[in-house]
Parts: sequence; C-alpha cells; structure tokens
Amino acid sequence: MLTTRVSRIAISLVLSALFFTLLTLAGCAQAEDDGLGRPYSIAVFVPGVVEGSPTYEMLVEGVRRAVDEAESATVRVVEGGFNQAEWAGGITSLAATGSYDLIVSSNPSLPEIANEVSQSFPDQRFLILDGYWEGNPSLRTVMFNQREQAYLNGYFAGLVTTGGMPNSNEARQVGLLAGQEYPMMNQVIRPAFIEGAQAVDPSIELDFRVLGNWFDAGLAADLANSMLDRGVDVILSIAGGGNQGVIATARDRNAYVLWFDSSGFHHGPGVVIGSSLVKLDQAAYERTLQAIDGSLEFGVGEVLGVADGYVTFDDQDPNYIEFVPENVRAQHAELMQRLVDEPMEFDIPGAN
Amino acid sequence: MIYYAIEVMAPLLLAGLGGLFAELAGVLNIALEGMMLAGAFAAIVTASLTGSILAGMLGGLLAGLLLAYLFYFVGIRMRANIFIVGLAINLLAAGSIPFLSSAMYGTKGVLRLPNVPRMPGLFVGMETGFPLIDQIFFGHSFGVYLTVPAVLLAGLVLQRTPFGLRLRSTGKNPETLRSVGLNPDHYRRAALLISGMGAGLAGSLLALRLGVYLPNVSAGRGWIALVTIYLGYKRPVGVLIAALCFALAEGVSVAAQGVLQIPGTILLSLPYVLTVLAMIVYSAMRRVGPSDA
Repeated sequence: MLTTRVSRIAISLVLSALFFTLLTLAGCAQAEDDGLGRPYSIAVFVPGVVEGSPTYEMLVEGVRRAVDEAESATVRVVEGGFNQAEWAGGITSLAATGSYDLIVSSNPSLPEIANEVSQSFPDQRFLILDGYWEGNPSLRTVMFNQREQAYLNGYFAGLVTTGGMPNSNEARQVGLLAGQEYPMMNQVIRPAFIEGAQAVDPSIELDFRVLGNWFDAGLAADLANSMLDRGVDVILSIAGGGNQGVIATARDRNAYVLWFDSSGFHHGPGVVIGSSLVKLDQAAYERTLQAIDGSLEFGVGEVLGVADGYVTFDDQDPNYIEFVPENVRAQHAELMQRLVDEPMEFDIPGAN
Repeated sequence: MIYYAIEVMAPLLLAGLGGLFAELAGVLNIALEGMMLAGAFAAIVTASLTGSILAGMLGGLLAGLLLAYLFYFVGIRMRANIFIVGLAINLLAAGSIPFLSSAMYGTKGVLRLPNVPRMPGLFVGMETGFPLIDQIFFGHSFGVYLTVPAVLLAGLVLQRTPFGLRLRSTGKNPETLRSVGLNPDHYRRAALLISGMGAGLAGSLLALRLGVYLPNVSAGRGWIALVTIYLGYKRPVGVLIAALCFALAEGVSVAAQGVLQIPGTILLSLPYVLTVLAMIVYSAMRRVGPSDA
C-alpha cells in the first residue's frame, strides 16, 4: 500500500518535472536581453508569439535593428501569448517595473490598453504600431492605410478574375476569407477590396466568408472549396493559419491566392500570386531610433500609406515576375503610381 | 456539399471509432484532441522524411499509439485520475509539439516541409450520371476510403469476436472477467491503444490533406469525435451517422455563407448548436426508452 502510494507520488513528481521542463524550454525563446546595461531601455511586448507571425517578426526585427544601430539601448522581447485578456496585465507589469523607457507593441487593440495603463504610469512611454490613438502625451501610434492596402489587393484580384491569369474563369467573382469579423475588416478592408476589384470591372462581385478563428485550416479549405464552386478564381485570405487551407484548395483546383501584410509567395509558388505589404519593420526601426535619440513626438497618431512608402505591393519577388503576366504587372504598377499621386482617404474605425 | 462533408467526416469518424473502443472498455479518452494533434505533426514529419503518404499515415498512427500508451501507463497502470491524465496529455501535445518543431525546424508556427506528397484522390473522374452517388463514392482523398472498412471492422470486432465481447464486459462488469481469470486492464490497454491509433490516423488525414502542419490543426475535432460516440449510441454505425451529421451541418454552414445574408460568424455556430441539440435529444431519448448505451 505504502509502496503504491510512494510510486504514485514519484510519478506525479516526474510528470510535474516533465511539464515544467517543457514549459521552461518553450519559454526560453520568450525573453531575451542583451544585458549590456545600456541607458535607453526598451521592452517589446508581443501580443501573441513571434515565431510564425510575420507581423511580429517584423516588429521585433525593426526594433532590434534600431537598438543595434544606436548602440546605446537595450531591448527585451516579451511574448504575451494569444489570450487577449492577459495583454493588459502584461503591459501593466512591464510598466510597473519602471525599468523601461519605452514599451513597443503592435496590434489594433493595444492603443486602448496603453492609454489605460498610462493613467496609472504617466511617465511610461509607448510606441504602438498598427493601431491609432491621438492626444495621449505618453503614447505614439503608427497606423497603416489599410484601405489603400485592401484596394491594392482588390485591384489585382480584379485584373486576375477578368482574365489576367491562365486559370481565370468566365465568372466575375473574387473571394475574401477573413479569420474573424472586426471593425477594420467590415468597415475598411472588405469595402476597399471590392472597390478595387470593381475599379477594373464594375460587374465583379465579392464572395465574403468568415472562418471564425485564425487557425482552422481544414475549415478554411472547405470554405475555399465552396467559394471556388460558386465561380471564384482568386481569394484574398486574411485568416492566419487558416491561409494554409486556402492554399491547399487553390493548389488542388488551379485557383489563386492573394496575401496580406507580408510576402506570401514562398507559401505556394504559382498559387500565391500577389502580396500587399506593410513595412512595419521599417516603421518600427525608424520610430524606435527617433525615440532613442529623443526626437520622437508623443501624443500623435500618424497614418502611413502608399505615398509614404510604407504600404506597397511586392512586385520584386521572383515568383511574381515569373507567374504574373507582364501586362497585369504593368497595370498594377500604374495603380501604385496613381495612389502615390492621389492617396486615398482613410477613416479609421473607432478612432478616438 | 456532400463531397466535402464526407471529407470532413473521415477524421472525425476514425477518431470517434477509436474512442468508442476506449469508451466501451470503461475509459473515457478525453485525450483524443492531443492524440490527433500529435498524429498530425508526426505525419508531416514522417511524410517529409520518407516522401510517402502511407509512411506519413503510419507515423501519425504511431504518435497516437505512443500517447495512448502513456495514457494507459499513468491512468490505468498507476491508477492516476483518468480525467487529469487525459487533460495532461492534451496539454503535453499542445506544449511539446511547438518545442519539438522549434528544435527540429526552427519554427513554432506553420510547418511546411519539403518532399511531403499530396494526398492522392481515388476514382477521380468516375461518373455514374447520378451526382449524389458520384459525390459520395468517387474522387475522395485516399484516407477517406479507409473509413468504411474501419466501421465494418470495428463492428465486427466489437460484436462478433471474443476479444470484443470481453472488451465490452470490461466496461460493463469487470468483475465478470476477473471471475474467469482474465485481467480487465489488458482490455483497457488494448482499447486505449486502438483509440490512440484511430486519433493519430485521424490527425494524419487532417495534416496530409493540407500538406502542412500548423498549431491547433485539430481545431477541436477530437472533442467533436468524443461527442459522436455518445450521439452514436456507442455503436460503430451510430458513430458513422453522428460524424456524418456533424460534417453535413458544417457543410451547410459553409455553403450558407455564400448564399444567405446572415453574418458568417452566426452560421459557423450551426454545427455546434446542432450538436448541443442532438445531445439534448439523445439524453431525452435515453430517459424514455431502453438502451444499452
């Protein structure tokens, strides 16, 4: 009896040790400090995990580049995980340490959190990318013109569905798969995407679907199949891990996929045929450098777009040049120039 | 829609059938989700290393088997709480795979490996002139065609073999087995290993269909598979019907998004709403009628 009890306790201890070891090993990549004791201290709060997220990889890369160049700063990267309810606690904890001159992050929901935290820690400075807030002297935000970005994708989709690619069909249907419905999606990206497509041909229709999460690639594959059944031949996929399901379906059925925010050609050469980009790494690098040298103005919410060079279309990727016909590329390049000459107005949903 | 529903059904059915063995042996395998996830990861890694779909499926099966043995060892052999062990295995899979993926391939995210073959379709292009028949029987991915024999085999083993009868006795009255000199734990172990193989194979179908592994690729399907065991009255054919109903509900919600002017987020809840309703009906029917479930 006693032996059984002892062995149960031993097993429990071994299992606990195993789990803690795994968690510790997994956490090894979560924090990094160059530990040189440089005077300007920066914390990068990642609302998720860095690996596998091009946006957060760009954020961290941009800040690191600035720190390396300044040679008078330190950076610590903290991953806040996927539970949005824990982000406010994570930001508050960082601010409460009083150790960081600047907290950098990136997410549309972060400005509101930073605004609240700054009420308790008014000396803490925040730089938030991909979000918008005006008037808080502790807070600097950088927003990208997602109307222009979605318009770029929509216009390209319009060129594709009107016969621009070898597998384009007769139907004038373009698809948009969203991971979730949220204000920026419903009020900006979706309307701008179809606006762009209809700038090519007003008869083009949009088939809009929602995945309901950011990871179910199997369901995303089924949604993509359903869209293709209805005549769609090109899909803009903004569904996180679900994008992989869209690629698998498009590959099987000779359709096309467009990418958003980062270059996605390597995910499916010949299937992913267009990628709109936001140069978040460049913005993170430049604004961090300004923060370090003291020239960054706080209390400002800035919007960067095509004309500024921060929103663009990846027209240099070899896959783009190889798989997209020259006339399509030329027409899209003309659109880029038009947006440089005449930027599109951008009403930010829920802007304060 | 029927075509895609059958594709969706296949992994649910394999995991559900495996879970049925464990359930009938008196062990609720709540680790199906974690076993599917491990199966998906192992399938992609193995398929990439060997260039073979079959080897990938075998890798997935073995990964499920490994976790199932861990379940047996801790939960049955060491008499740990079965629910805690099941949850721990789900957490172990979710936590250790990103670590392994990072250590082996340098990423915790999407794992797109070279040399992973595409899941082949069978009977592609065959037609009978009846679209419904064609959608049900032709052109599906290779793994789907494993599921029908699996249902028949499960029914045969559980109903017609001494092993199946003893396994069911283990769940209903283990003392009877002991009285004839048999050890119920051996049948619990066999049942858990079968459930692990089913879940691992199901995970391999999910990943190999996509050609990539990505975190949370099982997306709750292990839990749905668990529900199909009860909705199917703990019978193989019942599990088949329950899995098909869920897949059809998902197919309806997918197709409806393209037709109805109802927010997609609401339509996506349809399979889960139907599952809850079905559980209520199941519960009510159990109260009014006799059942061996």
